[in-house]
Amino acid sequence: MTQNTQFTKAVGNANEINELLRRYGVKFGIYKNGVFNEQFFPFDPIPRVISAEDFKSMEKGLVQRVNALNEFLFDIYHDKKIVRDGIIPEDFIYISSGYLAECEGITPKNKVYSHISGIDLVQAKDGEWYILEDNLRIPSGASYPLIARELTRIAAPQAFEENPIIDNRGYAKLLKETMEDVNCGGARAILTPGRYNAAYFEHSYLAEHTGSVLVQNDELFVEDNILYHRTYSGGKTRIGVLYRRIADEYLDPLTFLPESLIGIPNLMEAYRSGNVGIINAPGNGVADDKGIYYFVPKMIKYYLGEEPILKNAPTYLPFYEDDMKYVMEHLDTLVIKDVAEAGGYGVVFGSDLTKEKLEEFRATIIAEPRRFIAQEVIDFLDLPILENGETVMRKADLRAFVLSGKTTKVWASGLTRFSRNPDSFVVNSSQGGGFKDTWVLSR
Amino acid sequence: MGTISLEHSDRLYWLGRYTERFFTTLKALEKQLDKMIGTAHSYEDYLDCFGYPDIYTDNRDFIQGFLFDESNPNSAAYCLERAYDNGIVLREEISTDSLSFLQMAKDTLAKAKHSDNVRLALLPLEDIIYGFWGSVNEHIYDDEIRNIIYIGKTVERLDLYMRMKYPFESVKREYVRLLKNLNRVPRHTPYRYNTKYLSGLVEALGSEEDYRRDTVKALESLAHLFESEEVYA
Repeated sequence: MTQNTQFTKAVGNANEINELLRRYGVKFGIYKNGVFNEQFFPFDPIPRVISAEDFKSMEKGLVQRVNALNEFLFDIYHDKKIVRDGIIPEDFIYISSGYLAECEGITPKNKVYSHISGIDLVQAKDGEWYILEDNLRIPSGASYPLIARELTRIAAPQAFEENPIIDNRGYAKLLKETMEDVNCGGARAILTPGRYNAAYFEHSYLAEHTGSVLVQNDELFVEDNILYHRTYSGGKTRIGVLYRRIADEYLDPLTFLPESLIGIPNLMEAYRSGNVGIINAPGNGVADDKGIYYFVPKMIKYYLGEEPILKNAPTYLPFYEDDMKYVMEHLDTLVIKDVAEAGGYGVVFGSDLTKEKLEEFRATIIAEPRRFIAQEVIDFLDLPILENGETVMRKADLRAFVLSGKTTKVWASGLTRFSRNPDSFVVNSSQGGGFKDTWVLSR
Repeated sequence: MGTISLEHSDRLYWLGRYTERFFTTLKALEKQLDKMIGTAHSYEDYLDCFGYPDIYTDNRDFIQGFLFDESNPNSAAYCLERAYDNGIVLREEISTDSLSFLQMAKDTLAKAKHSDNVRLALLPLEDIIYGFWGSVNEHIYDDEIRNIIYIGKTVERLDLYMRMKYPFESVKREYVRLLKNLNRVPRHTPYRYNTKYLSGLVEALGSEEDYRRDTVKALESLAHLFESEEVYA
């Protein structure tokens, strides 16, 4: 059975599915010219399908990768053996914006730093999966396939009767378990910067489905190194685990950026004292630095003594002389990424640049070699999407979600994002991309 | 869940008030639409209830302004937007299902704006709002949370009914409902409710004569009953 005929039932009900997504307010926020707009996230009813065999291998590779990344983070904030052994140059650690000296010596529960990892992959035309990025800070997106599946099952139940699809609706349970693994005694809370955050839908949806309190900073306070939620009746409730959806540097104005208006004073002291678990652990951004990505296969060998199961996209670090030479010679065919950027920004395809711009860019790379990585453009598999009733092919990636508490588990689903622009590889929602469900088959 | 922040308690209250304000405004405007059939200006009494100036050129202008103009703080569209603004930050308390009814109401109202038959296009809204209240009742397990929303709803209803000069019996019914809701307030949260203003209400709503005479006093007492700051998103 071909993919197209297999999923006709879901596609046939595309309008109903989109009506339901609209009804349930599946939105994301976006700032354009300083103005906040809430948009419905375009959903494509043709799912990405991952065979049971493919998923089994991907799952092993993802668990291996995230375990190595967690080992790396523990090492970096303690003994730094990987630096002393010359596997990773210290330049890539200490000048990374994700490295936080304030986290030195802190040991999170179970030695886990990245509890929720969003690993971006693409599938090449030969079927091989490549890792594009490790998002360990505050990766978002799990709520979209979660609610889309719920609604697709209502609008097109036949598709699920006829196909052996693993039910992905256990994400909230997985997340709740992960939060409980870190809980230091108290309520679960999700910290949001507020309604005007791009991922606010997700914050509130996950709070609802994990039975957590959705909080903003001014509702929280630290007293005697314990984090509390201030209740409207004048009381206080102890918070045992905080799934924060704000960046490290804004978390605690007394430890990080003093100008932060969305942080909680003394939170880091409560965390350091072991009185509250923070998901993901502060300081883990050093491992999702695009420069560190290059070293992940080496980490896997170093910490686990294993060969990496999943491949990185072929990557060059202009920091190294040989790589710089290669990048200079092949700049017009490579994709260059600014390590400080995210969300699809700071990504430049050499082939898109004019001769003048190419030379300007060459000079910038020479001047700031640590700022960039260069990758071969992977000719990744196009996926079918429905556009005005016609099926067209578009670039798509997959964000897999890996949850680490006492053990590391891969959610049998993921967020498949696609570009709506036929000439673009950029799939981010902030740049107009859409999403589709990811079906992992059970056999 | 058992932990409600001050801001969320305010938002729960205003969710109740704005949803009810939308609903009662809508119903009042539907009556106006009926009165307007075959007449040129038949909305003065509506404006009089609230002391609004008559700046409208005709029936159509009035209806557009009070039903659909989001910049008019007295319009149904404005009230619905504010209800949604409060609801969207209360998802984990009121549930995605309850919130979906407010989204449906927004979509239905937006469609009605461009409809050839506004009254017909508005009809589903009544069902949607009843659905919202059913969902609130069904999905909110925490009595305290539900009660704050209901207190907001009843305060709003009383306020509007008195301004719109509803019959005493209707007002009395809502007043009793408010007392029942206030009786459910846990003892540890008294400071949110200024019950001293209740005596003003009791006096003003004691009998039909009192009601006719003391509506202004009753409205004042009502405004102070729940000392809540309106939260703007």
